[in-house]
Amino acid sequence: MNLSDVLGSDVVDGAGQRLGEVSDVRFALDAGAGQLLSPARLVGIVVSPRTASSFLGYERQVISQPWPVAQLLRWRHKGSFLVLWEDIAVMGPERVGLRPGFTAYDARLTR
Amino acid sequence: MNKSKPKRFQPQQLHAAPYPAGLVLDAQLHLLDRQILDVDGVPVTTVDDIELSGPEPDEKIPEGSAPPQITALLTGPVLGTRIFGGRPPSSRLIRIPWKAVVGVDTVVSLGVRADSMDASWVERWLRNHVIARIPGGRHEP
Amino acid sequence: MKRLLGVALGILTAIGGFVDIGDLVTNAVVGSRFGMSLAWVVLVGVVGICLFANMSGRVAAVSGRATFEVIRERLGPRAGLANLGASFLINVMTVTAEIGGIALALQLASGVAYILWVPFALLAVWLVVWRVKFSIMENVTGLVGLSLVVFAVALFLLKPDWGALAGQAFSPSVPAQEGAGVYWYYAIALFGAAMTPYEVFFFSSGAVEERWKIKDLAQSRLNVLLGFPLGGFLSLAIAGCAAVVLLPAGISVTSLSQVALPVAQAGGQLALAVLILGVVAATFGAALETTLSSGYTLAQFFGWSWGKFRRPAQAARFHVSMIVVLLAGVAVLATGVDPILVTEYSVVFSAIALPLTYLPILIVANDPQYMGKHVNNRAVNIAGVIYLFIILVASLAAIPLMIATGAGA
Repeated sequence: MNLSDVLGSDVVDGAGQRLGEVSDVRFALDAGAGQLLSPARLVGIVVSPRTASSFLGYERQVISQPWPVAQLLRWRHKGSFLVLWEDIAVMGPERVGLRPGFTAYDARLTR
Repeated sequence: MNKSKPKRFQPQQLHAAPYPAGLVLDAQLHLLDRQILDVDGVPVTTVDDIELSGPEPDEKIPEGSAPPQITALLTGPVLGTRIFGGRPPSSRLIRIPWKAVVGVDTVVSLGVRADSMDASWVERWLRNHVIARIPGGRHEP
Repeated sequence: MKRLLGVALGILTAIGGFVDIGDLVTNAVVGSRFGMSLAWVVLVGVVGICLFANMSGRVAAVSGRATFEVIRERLGPRAGLANLGASFLINVMTVTAEIGGIALALQLASGVAYILWVPFALLAVWLVVWRVKFSIMENVTGLVGLSLVVFAVALFLLKPDWGALAGQAFSPSVPAQEGAGVYWYYAIALFGAAMTPYEVFFFSSGAVEERWKIKDLAQSRLNVLLGFPLGGFLSLAIAGCAAVVLLPAGISVTSLSQVALPVAQAGGQLALAVLILGVVAATFGAALETTLSSGYTLAQFFGWSWGKFRRPAQAARFHVSMIVVLLAGVAVLATGVDPILVTEYSVVFSAIALPLTYLPILIVANDPQYMGKHVNNRAVNIAGVIYLFIILVASLAAIPLMIATGAGA
């Protein structure tokens, strides 16, 4: 499966209700050294309620300059949340389905 | 419930995300569309798409299954399909295996030489068949 | 002493390199129709290009990443491709205009028809792109381009009514015989001529070519802050000459001879010769910059290896694409289109394409992952957002005005 199949897909919950679109996919490199760099494990997907076009990721980083560009883009992605791999039921090319009772996590990067 | 206008989902409470131990990368933010440089710092191509080890599309994911991993960075015709839609057949994808990646920063750094990879075949072809035929093509600047 | 020479060289090159065929033609046209009442646009444009060049140069020096890499990475491939398409088309238009400009200047000097000079200009431009070192190329064309200061000299020799010129400049108003629509259309054209995107692509890629590091930032800031305004002053001198000689006589600018007329009138054959030398150098330099810019934008978008610091064999796609661009430019000229007309359109289209180029630079200049501690300070950000607004307004107003005024007729 390629990433471009998943990015921008609709995200639906267990009942089929549309929650938003996949605006990004999060990976972690924490499995210990492979040959040169650790393998990249899929941690989860970032769901944005309005639109998938992440546009610079202001909503997840602490950059707040320049005003008002940062604030406008952050507002556009208000309500974004992270869903972990464990809560994904189906990752089809048309839509991503979540398991019932999934947990919505804060998508902000603390780096 | 009023079904005429879909209600936008507002998560009631956002939990703090579990913080993985290593480097955390968001594909669109940190990986896609970045330049790929080889071990000598020579640009090879850009990250046009990313290939994952799973899951099978449209198939239910069994509970407790291991998360997929990045197998390769993709380039080539996949840029056109990423912009306009669709997907090129697997044989047309130019792959740079994840194992060749040394670091991810403002660029993606590889541990191998550009010339050793499929990804640089256009550059090599033009070098051998066009540039080398023009006098001065191989001279130091 | 050597450092002082280096600093002087940088500034002089920036002045001489500022003016290209777009500035020459647009300022002359504006001077011949509006006098000095659009002088404020040159000021706004110069401040803008200083801001813009400074930011993109800083990004390139600190992060090693040139402008178009940043554009694709920030905007994503779709918007990045749209930007590439627009910028590339404008670049090709500008290459066409500049090569036409070289040929027109040589025609002015020799009397030989300009179309015969075009292949010669093409070959000369390509040879320099192929073999000449980047810094030598920049320094020679920049220094010889300084001959354009003959416009300022000519303006003094013409003994104009300084009070009247200053009056037009400081209390701008739409002249009686022109309409407000045409006034603002030319304001946008002049703005686009001062803030050409290719200038920024070239400046930031040049920073990578010359391996600028953080310690070179002070020098580059000096070059920009002294060089570009003085270059803007040259633009004003061109407009002033046209305002003094062409405007009262109602002469409109349709070819380089009208642009040169005030100088010939003021200083005779000698001044004309210096002018032609300056025009050839300035347009030749600009042809080099736009050709390289076309190569830079394509290579940086697609991730090819690029740069004159590499052997052509090590940057094959880069060099092949520039050869294609040059041939395309000459093909356009071979259709007989008037290079002056191409120039007039290219500056307006430049103004239209500015926002997509400018926004990513402003964003990345604030990103600590790229810039470390060299992110924009508050003053630069305030100026940046103000200019973002100005650029957006100019970009959105350009096409309606073009249609409404028939491209400034």
